[in-house]
Amino acid sequence: MTKFRLFFAVSLVVMLAALLVLPACTKETPAPTTAAPAPTPPKTVTLYIGGTFALTGAYAEDTAAVLAGFEDYAKYVNENKKLAPWRTETFPADVKLEVLWRDDELKPEKALTIFDELKAKGMLVYRISGSQTALPLMNPLNDARIGATSMAAGPYLLSPPKTIFTNYPLYTDEMGAIADWYLANWKGTGKPRVAYLTADSASGRSIDIPEMEAYLTKIGYEFVGKQFVPMVPTTPPTTQLSWLKDNKVNLTLGFMINPGSQPTIKEAVRLGMGTNLDYKITFGFAAPSHLAVFAPAMGTLGDGVVVAGSYPPMDQAHANVPGIAFYNQLQAKYHAGKPVTHIMYLAGIVEAMIQTEALRLAALKVPADQLKPVDVLEYGFYQIKNLSTGDMTPPLTFGPSDVEGADVMRVDQDQNGQVVLLGNYPCHGIYKHE
Amino acid sequence: MSLPSGVFQESYGQDMAIFRTKAHWVLLLAFLVLLFAMPLYSSDRILTILTIMGITIISVLGLNILTGYCGQISIGHAGFMAAGAYVSAILTAKLGWSFWAALPCAGLGAGLVGIIFGLPSLKIKGFYLIMATVAAQFIIIWVILQFQNITGGADGLSVPRPEIGGLVLKSKASYFYLVMIITCIAVYLAKNIVRTRAGRAFVAIRDNDLAAEVMGVNLWTYKLTAFFIGCVFAGVSGALLVHYYAYASTDHFPFMNSVWYLGMLIVGGMGSMTGVIFGVVSLKLLDEAVTVFGPMLAAIFPAIAAQAAASLGLILRGLVIILFLIFEPRGLVHRWELVKSYYRRWPFSY
Repeated sequence: MTKFRLFFAVSLVVMLAALLVLPACTKETPAPTTAAPAPTPPKTVTLYIGGTFALTGAYAEDTAAVLAGFEDYAKYVNENKKLAPWRTETFPADVKLEVLWRDDELKPEKALTIFDELKAKGMLVYRISGSQTALPLMNPLNDARIGATSMAAGPYLLSPPKTIFTNYPLYTDEMGAIADWYLANWKGTGKPRVAYLTADSASGRSIDIPEMEAYLTKIGYEFVGKQFVPMVPTTPPTTQLSWLKDNKVNLTLGFMINPGSQPTIKEAVRLGMGTNLDYKITFGFAAPSHLAVFAPAMGTLGDGVVVAGSYPPMDQAHANVPGIAFYNQLQAKYHAGKPVTHIMYLAGIVEAMIQTEALRLAALKVPADQLKPVDVLEYGFYQIKNLSTGDMTPPLTFGPSDVEGADVMRVDQDQNGQVVLLGNYPCHGIYKHE
Repeated sequence: MSLPSGVFQESYGQDMAIFRTKAHWVLLLAFLVLLFAMPLYSSDRILTILTIMGITIISVLGLNILTGYCGQISIGHAGFMAAGAYVSAILTAKLGWSFWAALPCAGLGAGLVGIIFGLPSLKIKGFYLIMATVAAQFIIIWVILQFQNITGGADGLSVPRPEIGGLVLKSKASYFYLVMIITCIAVYLAKNIVRTRAGRAFVAIRDNDLAAEVMGVNLWTYKLTAFFIGCVFAGVSGALLVHYYAYASTDHFPFMNSVWYLGMLIVGGMGSMTGVIFGVVSLKLLDEAVTVFGPMLAAIFPAIAAQAAASLGLILRGLVIILFLIFEPRGLVHRWELVKSYYRRWPFSY
């Protein structure tokens, strides 16, 4: 038995050592296809768009609308071979789009296995569902040179810029835009006092960087401090709001989603805090707290709340916006009688547009059936310049060092339960990446 | 010809051996060969799943020692993983240490944090201890977020991949080997820890702490030892996780992970190392099945499309845990023991 154990132990050590050293420990960086397009007989090639969607958890409602946007846009392109009603370029007739999606529940480990699965299925583009999954996927996406659109827009995407592209401005830039607007309309004496009131999550805390505070101080604010509220509060954030009152804060900035911003503002109203209430204060939030969802749900309770970086509301008042007209067209065609009314449907269309545009541009250089992810990244994503989304967002431009597509953003305010555009404000690039 | 009707051992040592027969050794060898040959015939996806399973097994082994053997229920295990993860991340990313030096420090760091949060276990137990460990989860994450200059705060930290002699373990296969080797060592260590004097003391405390104390078991020492050992495993597991992601973020250690780890113990069977493996593998496979079948379900019922898949994973995992609590509280490992017993006694099994 002793000899057997010795033999076993030695063979095991040899086997483990061999297996550890044998596999390639490093990978080659994929290079784009350089050969001239070879003439190929016409046949239908299926290209995939989509990626991971957080259909379980805090973002479930938003994400279901995003997925609907993706699927409707793919149907539109397949049926019309057009990219949008306002665009003249056509989509290749021999290419069919198909949406591949999986629910990653915003769990990093699921996001990784889904990524491997969809990559093996031949996805050339990808999608990130949120900050939690963006962080572990940044490096695998970059290693495989796969370009991805993202619902998350934290500053980490810029350090260093990799292959994840956003159509939202970064949260810090959204905060900067609200700060610009507020300062331009400040009528008080002395410096306005600003504080963070933001979600207690990676995305919420991502605005809490030295550059943000330095920017606010530089343009003339007095920075008072920060308060964190759970992403989805289970009790009213009375303590945090009282702290703002005690510290005479005039403006708050933060990232919150609607399940967080709505109970927060209701409690603020109860405490007499708001633009038209006893204690004058303005609450500013980043785009995930879309006013198009917030205003109808809150009615006049939400008066004065400001949101930067969102999409135009999908109501009749905006029906002449090309993107909203497109939305109405898609609803009439694919959801007659049961329209998708969530604003994030527009986000789905915009993300699908970006992915499709990257595929189309790459297919101009390399035949669609020979495309590799790196082709789509370099000949597709990096070549997207001033992509018109029908004013759903500002024109989008991407490049190797430009992952933030928008240069300006809209700033909206809830006024009497209606979404009112306050103006378009520039992205300042507040976060200085490595 | 004589047929063996059992395995006869001639010494205490033989009787206590983990692998008692040649058949055991052959089976082990076959399993290891199959496991370590996986990268030769498996896709990236399978390797990722197995790597994540390996990392989770290490963590749940620690929880099993703490909860399954010593009876100290913890719902803060993901927090202890975060402690180890950040020790390793800071040592490698900020101070330039080698992964191999940082890994044991991660275990020790998490172990020390575990001792701190284990102190209340001397005064409280049951539901109250659960609440104390829940607090540990949130306090650890809060502390990490406060020390932004060191930990990167909410933005997290880029973490280097491990290296062996200048070769970076960047490929899926190489990291799979690293994790599997450490997992095998962890299983072996855990199995042996519970066979020591301390292991027997853990079981005594779990079964009746008053009786154990009367028998001379020092509750102070052994409860804290269980916390320390359990958290060392968690720390190593957390370190492996962030080096695999190449990024450390508090979002990688959500509170719900702590709950699911406990669920894995329930499904697999508490107080058994095999149960840990069964629990982790079965719930992770369920996760993967839901991921794949969700879109299929949505395709069959397009009217409810995404909603059909949404929350399916949560519902199924919860349902599985409830069913096990009701119908098989001893977990999958008990079923496995029944199967083995049936096989051994065949054709006289009943």
